[in-house]
Amino acid sequence: MSHHIFILSPTDTPLYSLTHYSSKPAQSAGSALSSNLPSWSTSAFAGTLTALSGASSATQHHTSAGGGVRMGGGQDRHVIQMIANASLDAIEEVMRRENVMYLKSVDKFNEWIVSAFVTAGNMKFIILHETKNDDGIKVFFNDLWELYVKTAMNPFHTAHTPIRSTVFDSRVRASAKKNL
Amino acid sequence: MATTSKQYKAIGEDLWKNKSEKVNAELFALTYGALVVQLIQDYEDYAEVNKQLEKMGYNIGTRLIEEFLAKSSLGRCADFKDVGEVIAKVGFKSFLNITPNITHAQLQPTTSPTTKSQSTGATPGSMFSLTFDDNPLAEFVELPEEALEGGLWFSNVFCGVIRGALEMVQMQVTAEFISDVLRGDETTEIRVKLIKLLEEEVPAGDD
Repeated sequence: MSHHIFILSPTDTPLYSLTHYSSKPAQSAGSALSSNLPSWSTSAFAGTLTALSGASSATQHHTSAGGGVRMGGGQDRHVIQMIANASLDAIEEVMRRENVMYLKSVDKFNEWIVSAFVTAGNMKFIILHETKNDDGIKVFFNDLWELYVKTAMNPFHTAHTPIRSTVFDSRVRASAKKNL
Repeated sequence: MATTSKQYKAIGEDLWKNKSEKVNAELFALTYGALVVQLIQDYEDYAEVNKQLEKMGYNIGTRLIEEFLAKSSLGRCADFKDVGEVIAKVGFKSFLNITPNITHAQLQPTTSPTTKSQSTGATPGSMFSLTFDDNPLAEFVELPEEALEGGLWFSNVFCGVIRGALEMVQMQVTAEFISDVLRGDETTEIRVKLIKLLEEEVPAGDD
């Protein structure tokens, strides 16, 4: 089960992206079709099923490097990008209505849920995930916010440019591992 | 009459608590960071930036020593070891609220030492190292690749301050960074070496 994390600037420029493969067991209340299948028939059948439903979970793609930067290969990557971009409209709508930071889940696409967090400086943090995990995601968003602020305070970091710091990357991964 | 290390600590602590105006640490760190980044953009050569930071520190040090001596009302140091102790425990403490650790060493002078000017107990070739556990200037800083390769010493202003301040009290020293955690080293360390005592202004009869 994987999570796709994106950080966007106020002008919707992508500054950071990460794909995190969670080792935690799925806690969903049956959102994906595959969860209704008996447990012995997991990988092959479930994989095909989710691929048909538009976006695949990462289990098929373990061989491709799960890096912090954009992965070139894998057709599902495009779907992920498309979902993330489509959700921006939903995010802006919620932003106009309410004035909170943590927007919980703003959009749903097949089995992908999009949760968003908007900072005071209008930076958007977006997570695409399959299972409902509000608490973990909330904690993760707060962690991500703190890490982002620390990076922004670095005098060598130019605002609204892609974040390339390895320290930031490793800390985000650690937080993702802990909370997602 | 010799002031002990504990007394220096107490003096430093008292100066910091009671006789210092405070400024927001984040503002201070951000200002210094912006300064370094601007210097890098202007000079585009990291060795040159190091030199400029040191020069700026020198100008700060020549003025800082007056305020320091006025506030602390410390007398002359007995020897170079004392100088190091005062800088570490009183100087850095009262201005930055940090106390670097100090280790003393002595280099053998290459030529035979002259007998007359060594009565103060500070022989040329004496040196001490200051090791910083934390550095308020480098609070949020991560050096980019080019700065690491170019050899930037981010806090080089410290070296200038030490050199400037000591020159005003008749000691010619070199102060330079040996290692820096921003560069990936284990510790942040400055080595201060005494070159010679400057003789022109020594008032007669002073101890």
